[in-house]
Amino acid sequence: MIHSKRAVLHGLVLALALVPVACRKEAPKETPKEAKPAEPATATPPPGRPAGAKIKIAFSAPSADHGWTGAISVNAKKQAARYDDVEFSLTQAPTAADQVSQLNTIMMQKPDVLVILPQDETVTPAALAAMKAGIPVINVDREFSDPGAQRAVIKGDNYGVGFQAGQYFASELKCKGNVVEIQGIAGISVTNQRTKGFADAIAPCKGGIKIIAQQPADFAPDKGLSVMQNILQAQPKIDAVYTHDDDMAQGVVQAIKNANRDKEMWLTGVGGSKAAMEQIKQGGLYRATFLYNPTMAASAVALARLLAKGQGLSDLTEPVIPNLIVMQAQGVFKDNVDSYMAIGF
Amino acid sequence: MTALLEVRGLVKVYPGVTALDGVDLDVAAGEVHCLVGQNGAGKSTLIKCVAGAATPTAGTIRLDGRDLTTGRPGTALSAGVATIYQELDLVGDLSVADNIFLGHERRIGPLLDRRRMRREAGELLRRLGHATLDPDAQVGELRPADKQIVSMARALSRDVRLLIMDEPSAILDPPEVDALFEVVRRLTAAGVGVVYISHRLDEIARIGDRITVLRDGKTVASNLPATTGIDPLIQLMIGRAFHELFPNRNILRGEVVLRVRGLARPPHLAATSFEVRAGEILGIGGLVGAGRSELLRAIAGLDPVTSGEVSVGGRALPRERPDLAVAAGIGVAPEERKSQGLWLDWSQVRNVTIADLPRLGRGPFTDPAAEHRAATAQLRALAVHPDDPLRAAGELSGGNQQKLVVARWLVHASSVLLLDEPTRGVDVGARAEVYRVIGELAGRGLAIVMVSSELAELVGFCDRILVMREGAVVGELAGETATEEQILRHALRTGAEPRTEPRTEARSETP
Amino acid sequence: MTARRSARAQEIALPLVVVALIIAGTILKGSVFFSTANLWNVLVQASVAGTIAVGMTFVIATGGIDLAVGSVMAAAAIVGGHYFASAGSAAFMLATVVAAVVLGAINGIAVAWLRIVPFVATLAMFAAARGIAHLISHQTPVALYGLDALTRIGSQRVLGIPIPAIVFLVVVALGWLVLDRTRYGRYVIAVGGNREAARIAGIRVRPIVFSVYAVVGLCTGIASVLQTGQLASASPVVGLGLELDAIAAVVIGGTSLAGGRCTMIGTFFGVITFALVFNLLTLENVESQIQQILRGVIILGAVVVQRRGH
Repeated sequence: MIHSKRAVLHGLVLALALVPVACRKEAPKETPKEAKPAEPATATPPPGRPAGAKIKIAFSAPSADHGWTGAISVNAKKQAARYDDVEFSLTQAPTAADQVSQLNTIMMQKPDVLVILPQDETVTPAALAAMKAGIPVINVDREFSDPGAQRAVIKGDNYGVGFQAGQYFASELKCKGNVVEIQGIAGISVTNQRTKGFADAIAPCKGGIKIIAQQPADFAPDKGLSVMQNILQAQPKIDAVYTHDDDMAQGVVQAIKNANRDKEMWLTGVGGSKAAMEQIKQGGLYRATFLYNPTMAASAVALARLLAKGQGLSDLTEPVIPNLIVMQAQGVFKDNVDSYMAIGF
Repeated sequence: MTALLEVRGLVKVYPGVTALDGVDLDVAAGEVHCLVGQNGAGKSTLIKCVAGAATPTAGTIRLDGRDLTTGRPGTALSAGVATIYQELDLVGDLSVADNIFLGHERRIGPLLDRRRMRREAGELLRRLGHATLDPDAQVGELRPADKQIVSMARALSRDVRLLIMDEPSAILDPPEVDALFEVVRRLTAAGVGVVYISHRLDEIARIGDRITVLRDGKTVASNLPATTGIDPLIQLMIGRAFHELFPNRNILRGEVVLRVRGLARPPHLAATSFEVRAGEILGIGGLVGAGRSELLRAIAGLDPVTSGEVSVGGRALPRERPDLAVAAGIGVAPEERKSQGLWLDWSQVRNVTIADLPRLGRGPFTDPAAEHRAATAQLRALAVHPDDPLRAAGELSGGNQQKLVVARWLVHASSVLLLDEPTRGVDVGARAEVYRVIGELAGRGLAIVMVSSELAELVGFCDRILVMREGAVVGELAGETATEEQILRHALRTGAEPRTEPRTEARSETP
Repeated sequence: MTARRSARAQEIALPLVVVALIIAGTILKGSVFFSTANLWNVLVQASVAGTIAVGMTFVIATGGIDLAVGSVMAAAAIVGGHYFASAGSAAFMLATVVAAVVLGAINGIAVAWLRIVPFVATLAMFAAARGIAHLISHQTPVALYGLDALTRIGSQRVLGIPIPAIVFLVVVALGWLVLDRTRYGRYVIAVGGNREAARIAGIRVRPIVFSVYAVVGLCTGIASVLQTGQLASASPVVGLGLELDAIAAVVIGGTSLAGGRCTMIGTFFGVITFALVFNLLTLENVESQIQQILRGVIILGAVVVQRRGH
């Protein structure tokens, strides 16, 4: 229900908002015959792309309707702009169905590499088709259901995020206390994994840490506010709050502050937004956030370029890129926040 | 004559009201049986019971000896009872053929058999003498008379034994009424029994065979010959004679109040000019579609005009500003009272005061007490029944609804009243009331313009009559000397074929 | 008569539902639920959707609909937060309210003068306003911690009553007064009940139709200030689905979507009903899916009561 409502909304936003679809230009044509032999490092350029021609990278992402998805697009574009030899295009899809049809269009334009952050698993067949057509796919964050649908995966670690947060709660609370969990959208895998990781990490406390309330707030700050307002009424004693998202956490923070109970408890977020980091630095209610950083989009573009050039990661021995990269769910606390401030979104 | 329909001792009690109190009715096959009575006499309840739309409290209804006292429309329909209601229940967006077969579509398997429906619709229309009606025409675009024919074709599309017609002629012109009667005669010749309800008593002698009169839910006379005169009928219905319907009034002629100069809205209205004085009742006659309603609407600023000017009391009104027309003293009582004149779920008071809230309120606020006082005074003066100012307008009879609209303009102290068919759907007894009210208003110095399709009303009641044809005024008659024939001659353009159906004719020429 | 009777059935039915919910809450959650603190909390929760529902009642009374309120609320807060927050709380609030009224007025012009069907006109604004919010904010919330007067809306109480609850109650009272007791309110209902009759009676229909969209814009602006005050930030993603919450509250309150029949008191109880359900189920820590099902049941039940009243 929330899904479809959001999906409709996204569709309309996309219809009227400015969609930054990069204009595609014809790649400058050079005759392959006159191309010089490639440098040793660049091994063998994939067939079809004349050496010296720009690398065409197409990035397909969900619509930027939220801090995190917005940052994904921004990071990808920034990274692409660093390379002179990359011709970059970005499309944003409000729904999985839109994403599939956009991908079909993109494939006709024969990009060298496709980078896809899918809306959900239903985008898998489109990725498979691309692979079959000889266009390598780099899968970002949300995994396809078929391993043949991508050449490489770079993803965040939702379970790890929950697990790290759980470990932090266990040690800070010394395995004893009342905890509230404010989830994202009910029923999606992101939410399930962040919840499960957390539960697994506090399991060794053998019930010492009690989750006294657990409600979804759809990643939205206004929902976070009203859900937390009610929970504050119901629970006279709360030690800490585990939220699934930094944006949403802003609503939870305000509910606690408005109730004058910010001395009683502390909370953590997920994501790595600038606003969250600033509050962590200040100290007080907001203790930590666990990175689920959209910089992975930038890394995905870098990987795509290496793939197209037939190169490996420079410090690794293999001449090709690895199949799976999982970002570390790094905790950001008051003592290390300064080193992460630059990548806050 | 063998009895087709036999109603005996029918009683229908609604909570608080006894609508029927022992009614008998006999209709023979091949007969046109006229049912007359004032509104509220029980005619509608009676036909509802016969059509199976209401369950009688007591009594029996038999058709061909078969008991129909079920209160289920399906049973009555399958027994061959068809009803054409006053408010035509056609779907405007569908074609003629679709409307005729609505509810019992011809099908091939699950699919509609459009070709067959179109063909059969054509046959039905031919049987009704209206072969020129195109089965593919959209019903919403037809003239009222043609819609009536479609309704009848729909009734005939089922195997009909008894046809009930509730005020079929109310919205028709004289020539259209003739055509309707022709259709009815074809039906009776085929053995169909017809129950005919009409407020136009003069029609009864022309079409009916026998008459049953209802008053207060009882049969007061049954099986009268159709030759029974109008006066005795009216006396049976209300206990008063026909000529007493029109009030005696002293005609006063004051200053010119309303002046219309060259008002035009082609193609509906050609440049029209006339004046109306205070105290004068100006009748506007003509066929339906002659531009009479369009003229009233143009005067009131409700429709855009291309040229011309309207002035009230010497001051010109800006165009297309109905609010300023109202402020200048023009009040309109539209023909479609329910859909254009009233808020049916509002109280009488609210309906009457809506145009006067600034005067009756305090600052931006409304003042229900003041509204109640102002409205009640006028409602009493017009004798609106029931005398319950808080009763919803939708519960009133047609005549009382008409009074409600008029009361609004009395509260507002309008100087010009534009009345469009003020007695349409109003029964004979209540008409006298409406005439009395209009007469009194003229006596108070209001200028009244009244569109009417009732020739007797124009001749018997109006001081002056303009006759319109095809959007233009084609004749002016003095009320004292005018005759119904004169009005008709102007309205019809003597010698020419009166029925003009350019659209449907043009279509039907290409098969 | 039919209309009056069904309105009466509604007016009795909903307060009964509210009473039933309060009794259920008291039994289930006794001291926590039936405390002044929590009951004020319910009003605070109802304040944002409720303030908008008051304006929505005017729109629906004319037979219109406004699908854009959620997006307009976000866009107005972002406009105020992005351009006027540096000038202080008063400037922010004024700018937010004005922005919402302007967006509402654009809807009004589209519906009244360009004669676009309300559903379509406000659907366009629903999309466009959200786009504006994202575009200006770059998908990032605008922090407003510095605006003391604004954030006090979320934290302070007057006579023990939270400020959003006061504002909501005042807006409901004003809405009732205007709709039920003023000439303007009567005209709104008249236009919704029978547009042609209203024209013939000398009411200027188009300005009335235009005005209700400006009114809902005003209410949305106030709701936006309440929301940002509580959140201490302006976010482009707030108000998702809010239009449906507001419309649902108005409809279960007994206002007819066809126009001409409306009740501000019904709207108030409609808003309170949903807020109580939400409150009670969160207190009980019931899964949110159950809450959605219950909302559906309530909407359907209310419509059935409406039908049976006829």
